Amino acid sequence: MKTNRPAFLIMTGILLTLAIARPARLSAESAAQWTVQVSKVDSGAVGLTPSFRVAIYENLLQELSKTKRFKEVLRDGDQKAMNATNLLLLRTTVKKYTEGSETRRAVTTITGATKLTVQTQLFTPGGKIILDRTVNGNVRFMGSNLRATHNLARNIAKTVKKSSLPEPQASAVSKAMTSASSNEAVFVELP
Amino acid sequence: MPHTAFFRNCNPSDFFLRCRSLWAILILVLAVSAAAFAQNVGEPNHPQGSLPATHLLGFAGTRNNTKGILSIEGDALRFKKSEKADVEVKIASIHNLSLGDLSRQVGGVPLTLAKAVLPYSGGRAVSLFSHKKYDTLTIEYIDPEGGLHGAIFELQRGQAESLRNELVSKGAQVSNITKQAAEISNENK
Repeated sequence: MKTNRPAFLIMTGILLTLAIARPARLSAESAAQWTVQVSKVDSGAVGLTPSFRVAIYENLLQELSKTKRFKEVLRDGDQKAMNATNLLLLRTTVKKYTEGSETRRAVTTITGATKLTVQTQLFTPGGKIILDRTVNGNVRFMGSNLRATHNLARNIAKTVKKSSLPEPQASAVSKAMTSASSNEAVFVELP
Repeated sequence: MPHTAFFRNCNPSDFFLRCRSLWAILILVLAVSAAAFAQNVGEPNHPQGSLPATHLLGFAGTRNNTKGILSIEGDALRFKKSEKADVEVKIASIHNLSLGDLSRQVGGVPLTLAKAVLPYSGGRAVSLFSHKKYDTLTIEYIDPEGGLHGAIFELQRGQAESLRNELVSKGAQVSNITKQAAEISNENK
């Protein structure tokens, strides 16, 4: 059987290159990740019950962890945040709240929806806003009123996942260093 | 078969009359049983200071919607899921406590399915009776690393207030906003 030796050698070369390059790329990706600290939910001027405020906060922590967008998701006041590099701060302010009723939903189907509208913002430690969105979370048919907080947290996590975040400091520096030649000065604008 | 014979023997003129009355009886039975289900049926005996509760969310190391026993033991608030598994927080670490109420549909998936198959919107009528009011106890506490946690428990109506008072007497803190809201709700009552 005749084999195509040059093609075989090229293929082996490509595979070996990929195998060597892959772990390096992965480690660079993980190093480039941000850490996010979720702040306590601000009820704003809306009369939101403490249970809703707590439910939004806890669901947000869960949903943000699920996105795998961040190296770590920290709670408000967590001491780890002091030593964390590439830290972002997520602030949530409730803008609108319509109290619903599970019984009304079950009886009428079209009324009794629980609706929440929040403003979600991502800040750098320097106070620069890098994401500012208004997100909704509702429960219209099935489920308890607290289900709206779960839907809201899921929508916030989706918004954060879809958004393009700037590169963290460490990876921006390393990228600039590799792209510049040895006798060039490197200027990196930090967020 | 007797019930098919019943439907076969229905004359077109009185078929709707008879069958409708049958459905009406069925809806009535379901509504009454749902209402009965929603009542407090003889509460089981629990040791002093421990209450049956459902953990809705937030308590570290406990799954959401877990039923168990909430109790104050020494200087800790403990949620016991089973004989072996229990989770606790120090009462001193609780920095906010608040009460609320919640009205939920009872019966779970079986009753929801039964309501869906009932004709003449009978399910909606059943929904009017198949809800139950609960108290909620929301606690906010700080973990040893300084992180803020929040947890919500669902308790039988009237039980959350005594638990909150007990926790406050043992050193749990209540924020000013929560205090004001509690005073307003007491005045309204």
